[in-house]
Amino acid sequence: MTTFYVLDVPENVSVATVAGQGPDVTVARVGPYFEISAPGAIVVDRRATGCRHAVWYSCVAGLRGARVTQQDKDALRVEPV
Amino acid sequence: MSELPHRVRGVDHVAYPTFDPAGTVRFYRDVLGFPVVHSICAAGWGPERHPDFIHFFFDIGNGDRLAFFYYFGLEPFGGGPQGDAYSRFAEDVPVYFIRSRHLAIHVDSEEDLLEYRRRLDGSEWPVEMQIQHETIESIYTHDPNGYMIEITRALRPVTPQEDLDAALTIDALVDVVSGPDPSMAALLTRKAELIVERAAAWEEQHAARATAEQASVPEVARP
Repeated sequence: MTTFYVLDVPENVSVATVAGQGPDVTVARVGPYFEISAPGAIVVDRRATGCRHAVWYSCVAGLRGARVTQQDKDALRVEPV
Repeated sequence: MSELPHRVRGVDHVAYPTFDPAGTVRFYRDVLGFPVVHSICAAGWGPERHPDFIHFFFDIGNGDRLAFFYYFGLEPFGGGPQGDAYSRFAEDVPVYFIRSRHLAIHVDSEEDLLEYRRRLDGSEWPVEMQIQHETIESIYTHDPNGYMIEITRALRPVTPQEDLDAALTIDALVDVVSGPDPSMAALLTRKAELIVERAAAWEEQHAARATAEQASVPEVARP
């Protein structure tokens, strides 16, 4: 299972929302964090989130069984370890 | 987490050397409008060989002060083509590293930020960048000594969960830099463990505190 965490603050909400639209992605909560999980890779489209530069590059709060393989102007891609 | 009483009261003063006191006064007093609030004219400094100097202070708001030392007869030291009056760096030192040390001065509103932007843009030291970061918006320039100065405003108040997140980040950082191969991946993996251990309990405690605080507010004061 691929899991990453995003802190629930106003700037980050769209990251969890867009991530949750991916196939087989579930968005749960652990305290004030979104827990975003899927059996395989999770891809978040940068433009769909509307995040500005500083928000986009600091939105990942934690990784469980996962690694970031892409985080650039186009997308965030989190894959199983 | 520290349980020590937190008794300090902000910045008394931060001090920098200057080789250009006239430019420094123009920049801080005449362009930015920071009052001169204190100065010391010191004939040397006791028995050791020490140049005569002027130590002068600008009010940067909130009772906090930015101070300078001007030493008569002292020439700038070498060290490389980059940097400021205090630190010179070789050509290959990356600019992000040089800019990492800077002074950020707080303002309360966008109106105030733009007022300082206007003052700087009408001077010899115009704003070099205006950036919205995660939760703050900042303008930047370099003063006559080459020191990077930031003026910043909050885009919104800091939320309680950001304090938790900061605490988890720093605990994870301390753990991973003690290990063999510090990296962002290692930090985020350790931080996820801390989130699983502590975030749910934090939220329950935070909710309980908020309920208790709400209960202590008289009925008439509630919105």
